[in-house]
Amino acid sequence: MTAREPASVDTDADAPARAALRLSRGITATWWYTFSGILFFELMLVFVWTVAFYAAGRPAVVILIAGVVWAAATVPLLLDYRGRADAARSLQWRRAAVPVGVILGCGVVLALASGTWIVGLSPVVSALLLLHWARGVRMRVVIAGTILLIAVWFIDARTTFPAGLEGDGWLVGFYSTFLPAMTVTTLWWWDVMASLDRARLSEARLAATQERLRVATDVHDLQGHHLQVIALQLELAERLLAQDPDAALEQLRAARASVDDARQGTRDLATRFRAVPLRDELANAADLLRAAGTVTDATVDADADHAPAPVLAPVIREATTNILRHGGGAWARLSLTRSGAMWRLEIANDADDLGDDVGSGEAVGGGAGLPGMQRRVAEAGGTFEVRRGKNAFTVIAIVPGIEERP
Amino acid sequence: MIRVLIADDEAMIRSALAALLRLEPDIDIVAECADGEDALAEAVRLSPDVCLLDLEMPGLDGVEVAQRLARTTSVRCLVITRHARPGVLRRALSAGVVGFLPKSRGADEVAAVIRKVAAGGRYVDPEVAADALSDERCPLTDRELDVLRAGRRGETTGQIARILSLAPGTVRNHVSAIIAKLGVRTRQQAVLIAEDRGWI
Repeated sequence: MTAREPASVDTDADAPARAALRLSRGITATWWYTFSGILFFELMLVFVWTVAFYAAGRPAVVILIAGVVWAAATVPLLLDYRGRADAARSLQWRRAAVPVGVILGCGVVLALASGTWIVGLSPVVSALLLLHWARGVRMRVVIAGTILLIAVWFIDARTTFPAGLEGDGWLVGFYSTFLPAMTVTTLWWWDVMASLDRARLSEARLAATQERLRVATDVHDLQGHHLQVIALQLELAERLLAQDPDAALEQLRAARASVDDARQGTRDLATRFRAVPLRDELANAADLLRAAGTVTDATVDADADHAPAPVLAPVIREATTNILRHGGGAWARLSLTRSGAMWRLEIANDADDLGDDVGSGEAVGGGAGLPGMQRRVAEAGGTFEVRRGKNAFTVIAIVPGIEERP
Repeated sequence: MIRVLIADDEAMIRSALAALLRLEPDIDIVAECADGEDALAEAVRLSPDVCLLDLEMPGLDGVEVAQRLARTTSVRCLVITRHARPGVLRRALSAGVVGFLPKSRGADEVAAVIRKVAAGGRYVDPEVAADALSDERCPLTDRELDVLRAGRRGETTGQIARILSLAPGTVRNHVSAIIAKLGVRTRQQAVLIAEDRGWI
């Protein structure tokens, strides 16, 4: 059970981060899909106008140019639309002034060139919808705009549509009238996606906050308990000092031990979630040894993440610490390889007394040393071997891999 | 007698540690310094056998002091810290620091480490080593780290390019690779992450 725990903590910590990255990419893609959809629709409309009015003998080039300028002027408005939740509304209205002015100008040019009201009005109405309206107002604007455009279409069809426009008249009228509604539907879809994304973010933040609170409570409980014990031990020492100095001394030592306990507990709490893949652990070890001036050769099986990290990681730590403590030596070799169902970890170094000093390491609050490693490996059903050669000290741990669960 | 210099900006801890170490028969505290610059000047003036340097000090930190001392003197430096941030041990080892231990160790243990270091040995605390081994691996290449380092104080792309003798376009490519790898939006955010994790 304990053997699997760090691994599962590791994957649990990684998964949300990866998912968040994927989702934030997803929402960016959705935005560009929305953006290009609206722009494509606008350019389509310009194309329809140009072709229809060219056939009717109107100045099609002027319509094409004004139409393209209009579509281009909506680009800044669309780009502003994306970030509108973050920015102040007054700022956005001010930034929108220039594009809106250009769009009004285009509307006038389009109306004059085509000789119809609807071709002038439709671009202006749909551009107005891209502005930063308060909640609920945009719906009213789009309904009012569409009714207005239907009315204008009706009037145009009766009075101003040129003679050569018969069949295309329907196309021009229909497209121009429903451009605003189409734009708003597309933006609405984007708004839904964006609010979903915000909900996901705040959920992640909430989870992080809860976790932080839980850790804070744990720290508080732990420290509170230990501080109380220490206070009692010190008080006792104070009282005993006059009558029984030896007993007082005993209490002082006990208080010091309590401080160590408290410290260790806090450290365990802080490092509870720190588990890195075995491959990273080995790479870190190689980096440290190289930093200490040791020529280090590391061979790690590509599949190393499946090796039993809870057994091997302490061996890597212990062995690396021992090598570092001996000044690194001239060379070191780390290798983690697989042969069948067994994993073989080999750490070799030219220091000749690597094992002998472990006792003193223990005196300075150190790890369990070689016997500890041996015990841990044996418990996992593996074999542990220490070779003391001439100018080489080698630690070899061979352990069975974690059986793959179906 | 082992002559020792202590540098720590926390006066309580410094004086308590100095008092405790003075009780050891073979250790003499020759200087107590409150910051890195002071420690550097005193170490050069007094040439002690061992410098006990706090990692977190205003101005020069412990590793920087050790690095500068290693250039001019042969004094053996021990770095002591409350909480070893990622990457610090690696930095310390390449700066020539011969000992690294957490502040939580008792004065008797510190004395033992001082003796060991003074005798030519090395000491890396298992706790610090364990932390260093479980550091998150840096996903950036050396060149990308150079770019972040050159731009850590808000330098422009042009300035970074001049510092590293690269084309501005290359710098921009590195920056966009960094931003994509770390999943952030700006170079400044990338710098903050890299500093926080001890990569630069």
